[in-house]
Amino acid sequence: MLKQIVIGLLGPTLDRGMAGDGPDRWGSWRPTVSVCQHDDWVVDQFDMIYQPKFQKLANQVADDIRSVSPETDVRLHTVEMDDAWDFEGVFATLYDFATSYPFDTDNCEYQVHITTGTHVAQICLFLLTESRHFPAKLLQTSPPRRKNSGQPGQLKTIDLDLSRYDQLAQRFGLEQTRSLEFLKSGIPTRNAAFNRTIEQIEHVAIQSTDPILITGPTGAGKSQLARRVYQLKKQRRQLDGPLVEVNCATIRGDTAMSTLFGHTKGAFTGAVTARKGLLTEANGGMLFLDEVGELGMDEQTMLLRAIEEKRFLAVGADKESASDFQLTCGTNRNLLADVANGRFREDLLARINLWSFQLPGLAQRRDDIEPNVQYELEQLARHTGQQVRFNAEARRHFLKFAISSDARWSANFRDLNAAMRRMAIMATAGRITIDVVDDEINRLRRAWTSIENSENDNCDLQSILNDQQIEALDLFDVAQLQTVIRTCRQSSNLSEAGRKLFAESRKHRKTLNDADRLRKYLAKFKLDWASVKKQNQPC
Amino acid sequence: MQTIDGSQGEGGGQILRSSLAFAMVTGQSCRIENIRAGRKKPGLMRQHLTAVRAAQAVSGATVVGDEIGSTQIEFAVENPGRVSGGEYHFSIGTAGSTTLVLQTVLPALMLADGPSVVVLEGGTHNPFAPPFDFLVRAFLPALEKMGPKVRATLDRPGFYPAGGGRLSVTIEPVKKLGVMEWLERGETVRRSATATVANLSREIAERELKVVRKKLNWADECLVVNEVCDTPGPGNILTLEVESDGGESGGGGGICEVFTGFGEMNRPAEVVAKQAVQACQRYLSCGVPVGEYLADQLLLPMAIAGGGAFRCVRLTRHTQTHIELVQKFLDCQITTESHGRDGVIVRVS
Repeated sequence: MLKQIVIGLLGPTLDRGMAGDGPDRWGSWRPTVSVCQHDDWVVDQFDMIYQPKFQKLANQVADDIRSVSPETDVRLHTVEMDDAWDFEGVFATLYDFATSYPFDTDNCEYQVHITTGTHVAQICLFLLTESRHFPAKLLQTSPPRRKNSGQPGQLKTIDLDLSRYDQLAQRFGLEQTRSLEFLKSGIPTRNAAFNRTIEQIEHVAIQSTDPILITGPTGAGKSQLARRVYQLKKQRRQLDGPLVEVNCATIRGDTAMSTLFGHTKGAFTGAVTARKGLLTEANGGMLFLDEVGELGMDEQTMLLRAIEEKRFLAVGADKESASDFQLTCGTNRNLLADVANGRFREDLLARINLWSFQLPGLAQRRDDIEPNVQYELEQLARHTGQQVRFNAEARRHFLKFAISSDARWSANFRDLNAAMRRMAIMATAGRITIDVVDDEINRLRRAWTSIENSENDNCDLQSILNDQQIEALDLFDVAQLQTVIRTCRQSSNLSEAGRKLFAESRKHRKTLNDADRLRKYLAKFKLDWASVKKQNQPC
Repeated sequence: MQTIDGSQGEGGGQILRSSLAFAMVTGQSCRIENIRAGRKKPGLMRQHLTAVRAAQAVSGATVVGDEIGSTQIEFAVENPGRVSGGEYHFSIGTAGSTTLVLQTVLPALMLADGPSVVVLEGGTHNPFAPPFDFLVRAFLPALEKMGPKVRATLDRPGFYPAGGGRLSVTIEPVKKLGVMEWLERGETVRRSATATVANLSREIAERELKVVRKKLNWADECLVVNEVCDTPGPGNILTLEVESDGGESGGGGGICEVFTGFGEMNRPAEVVAKQAVQACQRYLSCGVPVGEYLADQLLLPMAIAGGGAFRCVRLTRHTQTHIELVQKFLDCQITTESHGRDGVIVRVS
């Protein structure tokens, strides 16, 4: 049988009884003592929470429990609670108690006694039990039918984990969200570097109309940040036009020009009507060009002119159009490398790179995972109208995995969002259980493993050679070069890489010149140590 | 292994305690089923569990099913007849009766291989249990006549619901119990009425004694008020004692009987007094030496002694259940003869 532990507040009124500290107090029903007076239930441990000013009463109640229940280990905990009717203070106090309490649910069964304390304290105990900060059942006591009989009265336990309470719990959840927001004033991100970046972006967005470049891996939240900048500017009345978003990877090829800059009627076959183009649409607003590194060379040229002179030529038009917009660009590529490879115009980069902000990936912001999990749950609730919550064990389990180095979060927030979405759908009765979490962790692991494999297959070369160079390579060379580059990137200098690459053959050589061999090999592809190492970034 | 149906007869905790006592004395393992089956909360309650654990401590038995609410336990005696005397301390929760726990272990300890000191904490004067005064005035002196010296002292009383009472018992065991008979009651040599009030008004005690004086016509020097304050809670009992000699053919000599009225919250003092007075009147009018509660208590040592007899007021359901149980564990014959208004003779052979 599990050890029975009751956690309860000392009730300064009810637990005093009618007669104060005289023997007649035994005639009054005192909830805390009564919990330990039942014939058919032994409380092995009672954790009594009280304010220091009630020390004397606490001692008396503890002694009385020991008298009627020698089996019970009474443990006293003082807490500072200046105003027992102040929700925020009481909640914080009890929250701290719950989070620092060494719960051992494998060996103990916990009950939170909610009959004593102010109504505010009762509500807080309920909330903290409901959210599984107290992994406990609720315990309610009521006086005996015959007044002053000295009988212990009735006990009732409520297990909030039972599904019949789920509906009630969900209804309560909305209120809880509000009160949590009230208590924590929104969901703050904890990563200091990220918070500083955001502050800078807000400052720049307010003070300047220059283009902004947001870099960072896919799914790091670039477009979301762009939208935030737009909203901020709009709030400040710096913009009154729309936000026009486009992913440049989706507009490559023939129609790219007309998509961006528009075309006139009959400009080319199929151009039955005139088209405005995104730049014109963004007039007075913001144009967000995501994956700007995917833009073709011609479009880059047009764009540069559009930024510098706020004028451009629509396809087939012989008169220039004008559009004034705030430009924000996003990219996950190393544009400097693209410039070096001739894939991106240097002058365009200089123009859009004036304010450049690097967004770290989720894996570099592990301290922000927890608030974002909460945020995602709230967003899901907002979109679907359904409250979904973790049970405490499942939450701990998921977060433990999420912040561990096992979790690669290679698609960053996109991965997290997808994971939360999947778990929400798999949840039963609005509760994400440990099984659901386990399945999701496996799913994520599998996904990340296959990405890793495919990266190892073909990724390395694209970051240092341009497409034409790669096309010119034999498969034989591709395979060899990939291994050589990977080894270089895992090594701190040319000699170390050389030692690894020629580990066998160097045993039989009289003179050791691994570094030189490697240097010569790289030179065959117009590569050197610096260019291999410099572009060391995931693609 | 003996199988005992705990729901037979009166079907309460008594059958459990007696079975444990017999199991320890006879060295027979037993399984008790349907424990307190008919009660509102069936199975083992805390005070029963304490009795089971006490029996285990004293005998070293292996116990299965010793949990709150359990309706079946197995009590396997490891070394039959090897109950060791020693020092024991038992605390009973919910102000449960110390005397009932003592009752469970006493038979084994009074036949153990050495003397014992048992300290018990909890309630000392509980309704539905022999109060301390009954134990020390009526039962233990009668038991002492069968051999073992058992001395109990009340360190402080404990009343429901506060508990906090404590009694210490020293036991000098014997190899075998002697055979005793209580068939006649002779002259009353002493009578007393003690009204105890713990943390309560003296007036309550005086009102109770007023009823005793009026109904039993006892002299003022027999009436005593006992004010107690060394106990945590309030409590009140009225104890009537009648000590008689053995009469001409009494054999066993004198006997003392104790009748108790239990004070309770919201219960007038007069009602408490009437409870004791009426029991006393029934006893006095019947002319028997043994009252109904003492009858119940004497049956067990007599059965262990393998002989003896007494005449009592009537056979309660408790006593009848006990008689059936005794014959399961011990090879003895118990006969009962009813003599109408002159009571019932119970004979063990």
